[in-house]
Amino acid sequence: MLTIDGLKEALRNAQSEIEANKDTLTDLDRAIGDGDHGINMSRGFDAVSTILNEDYDSLGALSKKVGMTLMAKVGGAAGPLYGSAFVKAATAFGDATEADFSLVKSALEEGSASIKARGKSEVGQKTMVDVWEPFLTDLSESDDFTEKLDRLVKDTEDMKATKGRASYFGESSRGTIDPGAMSSAIILKAIMKEVD
Amino acid sequence: MIEIVELIIVSHSNKIAEGIQDLLKEMAPTVPIHLAGGLEDGSIGTDVTRILEAIEAVDKEALLLSDIGSATMNAELAVDMYEGDKTVQFYDGPIVESAFVAAVSSGNGMELDQIMDQLQQET
Repeated sequence: MLTIDGLKEALRNAQSEIEANKDTLTDLDRAIGDGDHGINMSRGFDAVSTILNEDYDSLGALSKKVGMTLMAKVGGAAGPLYGSAFVKAATAFGDATEADFSLVKSALEEGSASIKARGKSEVGQKTMVDVWEPFLTDLSESDDFTEKLDRLVKDTEDMKATKGRASYFGESSRGTIDPGAMSSAIILKAIMKEVD
Repeated sequence: MIEIVELIIVSHSNKIAEGIQDLLKEMAPTVPIHLAGGLEDGSIGTDVTRILEAIEAVDKEALLLSDIGSATMNAELAVDMYEGDKTVQFYDGPIVESAFVAAVSSGNGMELDQIMDQLQQET
């Protein structure tokens, strides 16, 4: 079960993982983007950590607040993408104060759909969609979430970017892991860890 | 009297936004131009909050234009999130050319829908 406190814990863990990987995210983004992903995500999740001290009466209310905070604070493309993912996930969580695996999966599927729609992106374009969508496809409670997420992040390395800033690099975008895929895996791992 | 269609320029760079404004003022001095360029601290980026503030500053109707990537994403997001009574339409096209066409058309008294048609033909 994912509780309100569990989701807060997941977001705190995501913040410390983003902080720990800030330079890696920035280096990846410097190679195939504008070099600000680590800084942007760090700023966004710092802001998220401050709103976790407030009380929320549902998972939906917390998820919505997280989304609005990310939209306002992250900057770059990640802000509207992650922001709308959490806002959309909030509609699936609704008034629930705890969510079982199936509800968490539905909420993440809403988030994934929102990222695709907002970014006008599909699987195979070397973006965060390449983590979100295949991770959720056929996801079962008994899966090794971390293993699956690590593999999906690694899979973006050989892809050629056809969406986002990295697409301007064309063939040269091959050989670098997509930074958005990496930050997506950090967030999803942190959430899945609390679903038990 | 026809309401003048205002412009909102969303760019990663405040200098780009200001540069476009300078350019348009020469061609269409009567058209109000609102800027959401860069982040609040002056650095490069786009911020949906600043775009929403620019929409609020509009009198009645505006056309919103953006440069690349996340500017476009944030512009569309702002239009989706905005709940007030201003009419705002987003046009996804090359920002300098689109702003130029739109400002001149608006200055000539065209309505928002006509300007959108004009943009589709000319950019």
